Formats: sequence, C-alpha cells, structure tokens
Amino acid sequence: MTKTTENIKSDVLTQDQKRTKERSAKSVKASRKTSLSTKVSKNMILLGLLLFAFVILYPLFWMVVSSLKSYDEIYNNVWGLPSVWHFENYATAWSMGISGYFINSLWVTLATIFLVVIIGSMAAFTLSRYKSRWIDVALIFTIGGIMMNPQVALIPLFEMLTWMDLINTHWALILTYVAYRLPLTIILIRAFFLSIPRELEESAIIDGCSEFGIYARIYLPLSVPIIVTTIVLTAYFAWNEFMFATVFIDSDMLKTIPSGLMNFRDALRTDWGVLLAGMVIATIPMVVLLIFLQRYLVRGLSEGSVKG
Amino acid sequence: MIARRNRMIPALFILPSLLFLGIFIYIPLVQNFYNSFFDFSVFSPTKEYVGFSAFQQLLGDKVVMTALINNVKYAIISVIFQVAFALILATILEDKLFRRIAPMLRVIYFIPVMISISVIALLFNFIYNPQMGLLNSFLELVGLGNLAVPWLGNATTSIYAVIAMSQWQSIGFITMLFIVAIQKIPKELYEAANIDGAGKIRQFFSITIPQVKEALFVNMLITITGSMLVFNEPYILTNGGPGTSSMTLSVYMYQQGFFKDNMGYGSAVATLIFVVTAIFALIQIKVSGTGKDE
Amino acid sequence: MKKTLCFSILLLLLSTLLAACNSGGEQSANADGKVEIDFFHRWPNEPRKSFYDEKIKEYMEQNPDVHINVDYVLNDAYKEKVRVLVSSDELPDIFTAWSDSFAENLVSSERIMPLNEVIQEDEEWSSKIIDSQFGGFTFDDTTYGIPFTVDGKAFFYNKAAFEENNIEIPKTYDELIEALDKLQSAGYEQPLVEGLTNTWAISHYLGTIFERVVDPAVLEKDYNSETAEFTDPGYVQGLEMFNELTSYMGEVSTAIDHEAARNMFAAGEVPILYMQFAEIKMVEEAGDVEFGFFDFPEVEGAKGDPTALTGAPEGWMVSKNAPEETIDFLKFLTSEETAADFTKTDGQLNAIEGAVTEENVNPASLEAYELITNASSTAPWFDNAVNINVADVFMRGGQSLATGQTTPEDILKEAQQEAENQK
Repeated sequence: MTKTTENIKSDVLTQDQKRTKERSAKSVKASRKTSLSTKVSKNMILLGLLLFAFVILYPLFWMVVSSLKSYDEIYNNVWGLPSVWHFENYATAWSMGISGYFINSLWVTLATIFLVVIIGSMAAFTLSRYKSRWIDVALIFTIGGIMMNPQVALIPLFEMLTWMDLINTHWALILTYVAYRLPLTIILIRAFFLSIPRELEESAIIDGCSEFGIYARIYLPLSVPIIVTTIVLTAYFAWNEFMFATVFIDSDMLKTIPSGLMNFRDALRTDWGVLLAGMVIATIPMVVLLIFLQRYLVRGLSEGSVKG
Repeated sequence: MIARRNRMIPALFILPSLLFLGIFIYIPLVQNFYNSFFDFSVFSPTKEYVGFSAFQQLLGDKVVMTALINNVKYAIISVIFQVAFALILATILEDKLFRRIAPMLRVIYFIPVMISISVIALLFNFIYNPQMGLLNSFLELVGLGNLAVPWLGNATTSIYAVIAMSQWQSIGFITMLFIVAIQKIPKELYEAANIDGAGKIRQFFSITIPQVKEALFVNMLITITGSMLVFNEPYILTNGGPGTSSMTLSVYMYQQGFFKDNMGYGSAVATLIFVVTAIFALIQIKVSGTGKDE
Repeated sequence: MKKTLCFSILLLLLSTLLAACNSGGEQSANADGKVEIDFFHRWPNEPRKSFYDEKIKEYMEQNPDVHINVDYVLNDAYKEKVRVLVSSDELPDIFTAWSDSFAENLVSSERIMPLNEVIQEDEEWSSKIIDSQFGGFTFDDTTYGIPFTVDGKAFFYNKAAFEENNIEIPKTYDELIEALDKLQSAGYEQPLVEGLTNTWAISHYLGTIFERVVDPAVLEKDYNSETAEFTDPGYVQGLEMFNELTSYMGEVSTAIDHEAARNMFAAGEVPILYMQFAEIKMVEEAGDVEFGFFDFPEVEGAKGDPTALTGAPEGWMVSKNAPEETIDFLKFLTSEETAADFTKTDGQLNAIEGAVTEENVNPASLEAYELITNASSTAPWFDNAVNINVADVFMRGGQSLATGQTTPEDILKEAQQEAENQK
C-alpha cells in the first residue's frame, strides 16, 4: 500500500526546526503543576508507547539475531541468542547472490536518481518561470501523473517494454521509475524554484547568462536542499520497489534486491540464517538513509511541502 | 533570435518530462482501457476483439467479489489503525509530556516504512510460521497456546494476517504525517484551552481534530486508495491463498495477466481498479486543492 | 555558445534513452569472433547453478572458439519466460524443457529444431539415452528434445514407524487409509503431510489420483484443451479422495510449503510424504530417518490405470536458429560423464545409461531408478498436462478443499466452465 501513500512521504519529518524553536517556549509551561493522576496516566501512556516501540523493534531485532544462527537453532530455539555466532552467514549471503542484487539495485537507484533530478528540475524550471496557457496545461498534466498508479499500467507497460525490447533489462525499471517519480519531484522542486527571488535572475540576465545558464548556475546551486530531498525520496522508492522489479525482470543476474530476495529464498532451501542475513543486508542502506539524512529531508521539505 | 530562444528553451526543458509522463504513465492508461476489450496473451501477436465480454465476465466472477471484499476489509482496518490510531499516537508524541522521548520514538516507528516490502514479508513469514513462528511461540509462552493457528494457511485468518502486517509497517508513516500537521497548529490554541482548564481529551477533540481535519481527510483517502491497490503484501505472503481467501484485485489482475495469460481479462480487472481508485483520487484532488493557497 | 551547451545536455539525455533501447541486444554482442551460444536453464538455486556454471567453464576451456552465455530463472517465471521467448525470435539456442504438453506447446511454435537426424547420426551418443524417455518429447514421430533428468512421484515412508506399528505397505487406496488411521492412533497427529501453499504439490496429488480413478481415454480427451470437458464422475471421486487425504495432514499443511513438509518427514515427525525421487538426497541431508517408498496404490473398482507412475523427464531443446556448435554442446551436456557428475552433485536421476550407478547414488535412489525405468507407463505432471487456467481451478480448489471452503462438485463445475472458456 505504500505507493500512493508514499507520495506524501515528502511531508514526513517536516518542521523539526520550528519545533526546536518552540521548545524553549514550551518548556517554561511544562513546569506547570502536574497532578498525581496525570502522572499515573503519563506513565501508563509511556508504557504503551514503549510497548509499541518494542512491537516494532523486536521482529527486526529477531531478524538480526537469527541471521547469525544456524537453521537448527532458528527452528528449535526461537527466542534465544545463538550458541555459535554464524557471522559467516553474511559472507555466504553476499557471495551467493546478494552482492549481485545489491549492485543491480545500486545501479538502478543511481541511474533513476540522476535522471529524475535532471529531467525533473528542468521541467520545474520551465513550470516555475513561465506563464502561458500551455504551461498551465503542462502543469496539470504533470500533477495529474501523481494520481496514476502503476498497478493499472502494469500490463500495458509490460507490452510496451516488450515491444521496445527493453523487458528484462535494467532500463525497464529505470525508465518506469523515472516516469513515476517525476510528478512529485517536479512539484517539490517547482515550489522551491518559485521561492527563489526574481531579482537574482534579472541580474544574471544583465550579466549575459542564457536561460540554461540561469538554470544551471543560479537555480540548481540554490536548490541543493530540495534536491537532496528528492534524492532521498527517489532512492527510497527505487531501492524498495517490488512489483515492476518482479514483473519486468526475469533474469536472476539482473534482479534488484526486492525481487532478488524472492529468488534467494527459493534457491536457499532451508538456509534460513543466510536468508535472514541477506534480508539484513538489504535493509541496512535504507535505515542508514533514515538516520543520517533525516535532517536533509526536514530542511528541504519545510519549504515545499505538498499535499497528495 | 532572442525571442525565439526564449520560446524554444522552456519547451525543450519540459519536453523530456512530458515524454516520460506521456509514454510511461498516460499511454499505458489509455492502452489498458483499449486492452480490456480484447482477448490476448503475452505470446499471441494478435488481439481478438471481444467487446464488453470481459466486463460481463467480471460481473459474474466470484473471485473478483472476494477480492473486492478483501480490499474493503483492508481499507476499513487500515483506516482504524493507520488513521485513527496514528492520529492518537501523533497527538501523544507531540504532547509536551513526552518531548524527551518523542524524537527517538518517531524514528523507531518510522523504521519499518523504510524497509523493503519483500524483507518485511519474508520476516512475517517467519513470524506467522505455524511451526517455529514468533507469534505462535509467543502465544504459547503466555499461555494462550490454544489461540495459535496457522495464520496464513487458514482461510478465515489469512487476509487478516496480511492486513496486520501492513498495519505494522505503515502506522509509523501516517503518524509522521499527522505529526507534521499537528506541528502546524498554533500553540496559542492549546495555551488558551489550558487556561480555560480543558483536559487533554477535550483538547484533542476540540482543537487537534478540527485543526488537522484536512490532513485527516487526506490521510484517510491515501489509506483507502492504497488499500484498494494493495499488491505486494498478499502477493508475497499468500499469493492470494489458501484458495482465493486472501485475494486482492491487484493480485488477481497480476495472476490473470501474467500467470494465466489472460491479458485481456487482466486489463479489465485493472480497469475496475482504476475506476475504484479514480473516485477516491478525484475527491482527494478536490479537497487538497482547496486547502492549499498556492 | 550557451545554447550549444544546452542542446548538448538534451542530446545527452536523448542518447541515454536511445542507448537504453539498444542495451537489450548488447548482451549477446560478439566480443572477439567467437561463436556465441545462449544457454537458458531454470536453476538459479544450488547445487545446480554452480554445477552448470562449472560445466560451461569446462566446455569453454575445451572449445576456446565458443562462448556460452548462460541465463536462468526459477520455475514459474521460467515457464512464462520460455513461452514469451518462443513466440519471438529471441529463443535461446539451448534450453531446458518439460515433456508432454509443455513441450508440445513449444513445438507448435515451429521454432524448435527437430533432432531426429542428430540422433541418428551419432548413435554412440544417442544410444546411451534411455529409449523410453524420448516419448514425452516426440510428436508425430519427430523428436524435439533430449531427455536428461528422470523423475517420479511416490509415497516415501518412515520404515521404523511402519515396523513399530506392524503396517504393511498399502496395496490399495483403502489399505492406505487404514495405515493412516493406524499411524494416527499410534500417536502421529499427522500421519501424512504436504506443503499445500505450493499449488504444484496439489497438482501432483490430483494428477496421480485422476490417473488412478479416471478412464485413460477420458483423461486423454480432457487433457487436450480442444476437447476438454471434465464431466467424468471420476473427478469428483478423485477430489473426494484428495479431501480425505488432507484430513490427515493437520491444520498446519495449508500454511507450510513442501520444503517444510519434507523437513518434517526427515525429522521423523511425519511418517508418510508424497515426494519426488529427485528429493531423496535432500531428505537424507535434512535428517536421518530410514525410508522406503511405494507408488500411489491402486484404487479398487476404479477405471483408471492402477500402476502408471507420475513423473516425467525433463530435457534439452534446441532452437532452429542455433549455431551448429550448439549440438556439440548438447552432446556434452548429455554425455555420460556430465550426467554422472550431475547425479553425484545433485542427487536427481538422469536418463543416460551407465550414469546412474552405485558409485554416484545411494541404494534408495538406485531402487527408484529401477522403478522409473521399468514403469509400464508414465503420467505427466498435471499442471503441465492441462491448460493452466483449468489446472489453477483444481490447484486453488485443492487448497480451498483442504481449508473446508468448497466442495468437489463446486470445483468441478468451475473446471468445466473454465475448460469451456478455453476452447
């Protein structure tokens, strides 16, 4: 269910900054009297929150711990820690195929990001700087794209890509990913471009910059935050996309991580430890992204947040 | 010369985007409608015109009904958990009482959102496993062993097991959206309410909910649309089984098109999906369009 | 100047797109004048993937002027992929194929190379391939495939469990039920198990059962999608038998896959499991039960073939457009040496004479091998034998039957409807 919902992912983690500003004001008020009953209910709620955090974290923790176990131990000792820590599961997973999927995912993700950023920012440039009936139509055309879902296009896309001779190549994924990422990207970047003061470009024109110069030398450098945001959102999408990756790519050597893991499971039979190790490897880049790039997301999005 | 350049360049700048959107988003959509009227398979070079017969078949297809009902169940449960529960969660996290722990919890709740669906589904295969699964072992551990069933293998529980996994993964996402919305509420409103002596629950109903009304509505629509489209979760966990008990429209479309080679009928199912989601999408455009001042 | 820059960027973008369009063909591009052979199989899983990777390496070392491009996808994806490829001009030069109706469908594309001449020209090689296994690849006296692996399906049983409870090997279906009852009362909660999430496992059961209870002439008619009707009362009886058998499998069976079922058998938790001979080695690796096997017993009073063994060979097919070197590679793949190595590595039996011996297989496999090669007749896998839409009705129906959601009559009604749709 993530696809459409994911459009709004953009809003996520927004406004952290505002929050910190408000925090000082808040804390003054927080010291106001807290009665006994609120203290009790506070602790109850806190317990609930922690319990929920536990429900979220425990399966992931189990995944990591079990990835270091042997099949027998996963089967017979569900809760315990491994008696022997099978770190080699990771090496096995890596050499048995995950490395290939990983590299494929990396290439598809990077190529998608590159194209989305270039093509999207160029379109946003036009859409933010010019006004005409045609531009309005183009804008509606673009925004409308956000409402289209890949499920409905699956069979025609399969036909089309087969006809173009692109089926079972990475381009089948890259091109469709780019298409489905463009609407949101354009909307985000356009909103940012709109906020760039006109005076800057006027002085640039006087300096003899061309349209392209204005785009490349003024708009792009100023928009680094929103572009990082776009990169993070696109990376998230391209790294995790499952349906196209399953339908458009058959060859094991070309599969990306999400669909490759399915093959990996079938190929491994009962080597569950290795499978779990592969799952952990597939997860790491995104969790790293969340932890380290959260700030970029917040900064970029506080300006250009959109709905739907 | 200058005038011409000014006309050409914006067009050239936007052209690649329009091409991408046109070729990979809009043409397939039209193509799908067209395909619904034909009978063909991947490897047949010709399409046979069959008129509305695929749609007639659609109406009489029991599996489509099962799938539609499952999609609706998905939507209802998701609205309760992902929207109602997430709103409460977001309100609590934004309450100043928990401001120390909230940033950490937000990240924790958000982790599953970042993880690939295939990892999550494989993980839940272990959780639901009838022999060594975490869920059943846990039930036994707390003395509820008699409640343990083969969750994904039981025709009455399979769809709920799939839905439950979705909730686990997506609550953090919607919560985050609500947090964003709540942060935009002017703090003075709460301060005024505090002075008036209104309790937390009163504040929730009389300030938070009215103030996030728009986000509430949008999140609800996102959740419902997503539920109508759901593919990955049932496809990986159960492939619609046992029997057709956890079938959804998208999985059925995929199976008809790619497994049974009835591309035409698959397209008709896709058209149905489109119609159902388009209705929600239209409402969404209307609502979000009025909310934004841009 | 700036304008040129701008255009060059656009050109770059367009060329990316164009490059994209060409990349499909690039993979088979010829590097240095070598003959290229595209080889396609369906085993991305071990140990076969490595086995073929090594054999390819070995062959390329022996034949430095040949380069082999290998590709592989798993089972269902393979079926789909081959069907797509066979309808285009991109059929790989040599690829694996199931026998019977699957092979027949491929052959009907007229893109598969007839191999009669190849077989006649090199008797030294072809005479080693067990004659009876060619049947599934021969249509109208023309042979289109070289059988390589042979297989069969039988009930594997835990010898200790049978001895302890004084159970004889069942000769009839009723005796099988009796044995299951005995085992159940002896404390086996599930005397029989299957991983019903794998719908092919259901199709294997149903295929064999139908073989036993339905008149062979009726089956032949119904397995042909032009004439299929599925009106014989034997089908209802067969589905009822399957339903009866699932009642011994316990709740767990609908939630596990065949793999898990095999592990339960290997661990001695379940005394009987319907398995392929190809799995013998896996059972031995997964546990240490002593096991034997018996064919699906005869059904008394039924019109079907009481002894037909379910199981069909798999083999290699060659594209009509393949370079001539492909034939040499085909012979290499089906040579006694390759076959012996294969069975030693994988455990699955092969159709090459002299390549299954005490040296590379254990006694159990050898026994199975004799059973296969001596079988009076063989029945193809059900999901390969009938139209996939009809097979799906039976397979999903089988799942619903096991979870009590439907009845044999309803399944059959649906199957009849589907068979009608396919005409």
